[in-house]
Amino acid sequence: MKLNFEIRPIFSALLRSKTGAILVALQVAISLAILANAVYIVQLRMEVVSRPSGVAEENDLFSINVSNRKPAEHAEQIATQKHDEAIIRGVSGVQDVTRVSQTPLSWSGSSTGVSLDRKQAATSSSVSMYVVSQSVMKLWGLKLADGRDFNQGEFREIDANTSKDFPDVVIITKATAEKLFPGQASVVGKNIYFGSGDDAKETRIIGVLDRLQTHGAQIGAKGEISVVLPTRMSNDPYSKYSVRAEPGQRDRVMKDVEVTLRKASATPLIINMRSMENDRTRRYRADNGLAWMLIAVCVLLLLVTASGIVGISSLWVTQRRKHIGVRRALGARRIDILRYFITENFMITTFGIACGVALAIGLNQLLVSKLELTKLPIAYLLGASVIFWILGIIAVVGPAARAASISPATATRST
Amino acid sequence: MFRYYFLLGIRSLRRNPALTALMVLTLAVGVAASISTLTILHVMSGDPIPQKSDRLFMPLMDNGPLKGYTPGEQPNDIQMSYRDAINHLSAKFGERRAALYGILMAIEPARKDLPAIESEGVATNKDFFAMFDTPFVHGQAWTENDDTKAADVVVLGNKLAEKLYGKTNPVGQYLTMIGHQFQIVGVLAPWEPSPRFYRFAGRNATFGEQEDFFIPLASAIRHEITHAGGMGCTGDTEPGWQGRLNSECTWITFWFELKTASLRQELQSYLDNYAADQRKLGRYMRQAKNKLFNVMEWMEETKVVGNDNKLSAWLAFGFLMLCLVNTVGLLLAKFSVRASEVGVRRALGASRKEIFNQFLIESSVIGLAGGVAGLILAFGALALIAMQSKQLTVVAHMDWQMLTITFVMSVTAAIVAGLFPTWRACQVTPAIQLKSQ
Repeated sequence: MKLNFEIRPIFSALLRSKTGAILVALQVAISLAILANAVYIVQLRMEVVSRPSGVAEENDLFSINVSNRKPAEHAEQIATQKHDEAIIRGVSGVQDVTRVSQTPLSWSGSSTGVSLDRKQAATSSSVSMYVVSQSVMKLWGLKLADGRDFNQGEFREIDANTSKDFPDVVIITKATAEKLFPGQASVVGKNIYFGSGDDAKETRIIGVLDRLQTHGAQIGAKGEISVVLPTRMSNDPYSKYSVRAEPGQRDRVMKDVEVTLRKASATPLIINMRSMENDRTRRYRADNGLAWMLIAVCVLLLLVTASGIVGISSLWVTQRRKHIGVRRALGARRIDILRYFITENFMITTFGIACGVALAIGLNQLLVSKLELTKLPIAYLLGASVIFWILGIIAVVGPAARAASISPATATRST
Repeated sequence: MFRYYFLLGIRSLRRNPALTALMVLTLAVGVAASISTLTILHVMSGDPIPQKSDRLFMPLMDNGPLKGYTPGEQPNDIQMSYRDAINHLSAKFGERRAALYGILMAIEPARKDLPAIESEGVATNKDFFAMFDTPFVHGQAWTENDDTKAADVVVLGNKLAEKLYGKTNPVGQYLTMIGHQFQIVGVLAPWEPSPRFYRFAGRNATFGEQEDFFIPLASAIRHEITHAGGMGCTGDTEPGWQGRLNSECTWITFWFELKTASLRQELQSYLDNYAADQRKLGRYMRQAKNKLFNVMEWMEETKVVGNDNKLSAWLAFGFLMLCLVNTVGLLLAKFSVRASEVGVRRALGASRKEIFNQFLIESSVIGLAGGVAGLILAFGALALIAMQSKQLTVVAHMDWQMLTITFVMSVTAAIVAGLFPTWRACQVTPAIQLKSQ
């Protein structure tokens, strides 16, 4: 085609005035390097944010923390807990309520070490511990992958201050099973030990949950290493009630529950309530914030680069008025002029993209070594390259069209 | 001449409005991005207590059990056990010592119109106030006697005091906390070291609001008030409060203040001796290295400035670089159409230096305009960031230092960007320019 024929003269012309070309190529290179990495980071963050917690219909759930009760003995505390549950359950619009030690994504709770036998000196894994006073399968909409739920008889009542008692059975998540027993098909019926050494507490796994994120919802497999223990505890430093409201009624139910609890108490209570939606927003605020900042930077990058290309191309069109006039007078058609500018820009952009890909890999290496990022997949480099090719063409079309519209007569006259 | 060129520069802003606006905007956006990220980084990594940050030391000693330990392993937690804290307090090494832990307490205001509230505060000993130079509006710290007697006294933070008592001086009054009467001995003036370095509770809590109250450590222990932060437990723990106090569980932050930074070595040998003594009792069997951190080292160790903040700052600077390259191109375009003007001036006797000055001043005018616009944008960006969460509100504010840096940065950026186009403009040969007119 004729296009092949044109590349050489354009290239020679470019070599004669390198400054502008280098500036454009440099802009493309820098933007591509930043864009590819930024989009990759956004993608990583979005993956983290969109992980399911394992809890169904999160928006109907909320938790209540009640404090400033009168100091009381074990039995009285347990009775108060049951009484609170009954009061909350009595509020219209409440579907289910259970006393739990922690809720997923809430950033508040406790982890403990688990090992596979008593002799094992070091603990095998740190697990996030959900201590629940009744089954939470229905409350949280959890799915069992294997085994069964707790029986009523398996729930204990323990005083955390005086007793070293511990439940006999435990339900763990798939991720926990994989961590403790890598590669084993079924772990139901196996024993695990809480703590280490002679005092470690033996418990039997009776069920495996599909998924239940920890209270911290950390990144990676760690975020799902949790266990559920059937116990109602007194003198528990971490405690709350997890409540499920009828669909769409959460906010009203939250207000009603607070008012009802206050009315029923002799002492002025301190009540902290958080919806699970709030917990989720707070957990991922930093990730979302960073993602949005990066997206804003990317958009600005593209705008700035495009404006740079438009600026330099316009400069060239002005500078080359006379040349264009001469070419037109010698028989070049408008399309030829248009093609000249577009081809020229395409060559510069391609050069910039080549440099940009190298720069992007370099920048990624730096981020990998300094900020614990993972390696940039090639797809992102390809995608970014395509974006800049298209951007380059779009940006140059305007000035090129202006160049093509220069009439040979006026352009050559003013000399 | 400077003034004349300056005026010429301002006039020339109008000559090519679209191009100029683009340049100013590009520069403004670049400057705003780097300034807002830099401000956050600056506030986060600033020295919270410059007058003595090199004399305050945080010890890090590994009291974990030998069982399951591989030498060289990191300690399980960065805090201290209650036993060690008490031992260090009574050993009285150094100028001052402070042991502290975060607590939550229910407060019942005397005013009946206010509901009971749960407040976050700190349990510590009297040295804390002098050690961290906390400013008092009313009263003062409690006495050593209060520490030993585990007295129910409280120092209120500025915000809580204002909420409960307005502007009046509450010193001497009693406040009901967890059902007990605590006597108010002092009220702090607003005191928000940023970062809140003295108490590490995860990075997100490092830039929080001021503490609501302070009570003696001994009093908090007597009332069995549990910690509001994290706790690390290795080894076996007996149940109950006394079990926790006797255990190797770590939940207390400890600071030493020395007379001079050069006494660090003495503190180091004190800690080494302490660990050796405790080894006779069967503790500290790991024989790990006892570490010491001053305030800035501690902030580095605990990664107060997160990776995300560094990433943002780096990207913003990459972006500023792009904006600069862009400005170079646009300035080149702007100046190149004025070759004939340069030709005439040169022919009329202006030296290259004069032309250079003129065009450089013109670039600076653009830089100035970009700086002003960038500043406005940066304020907007910071306000947006502050809206994200309460913690960021403390961080995302601009001080005079940053304001000056913004200006210097944008003008410098514009001058740097202007150097090459200006040099090119100076290369115009008057004869050829005049001939082609």
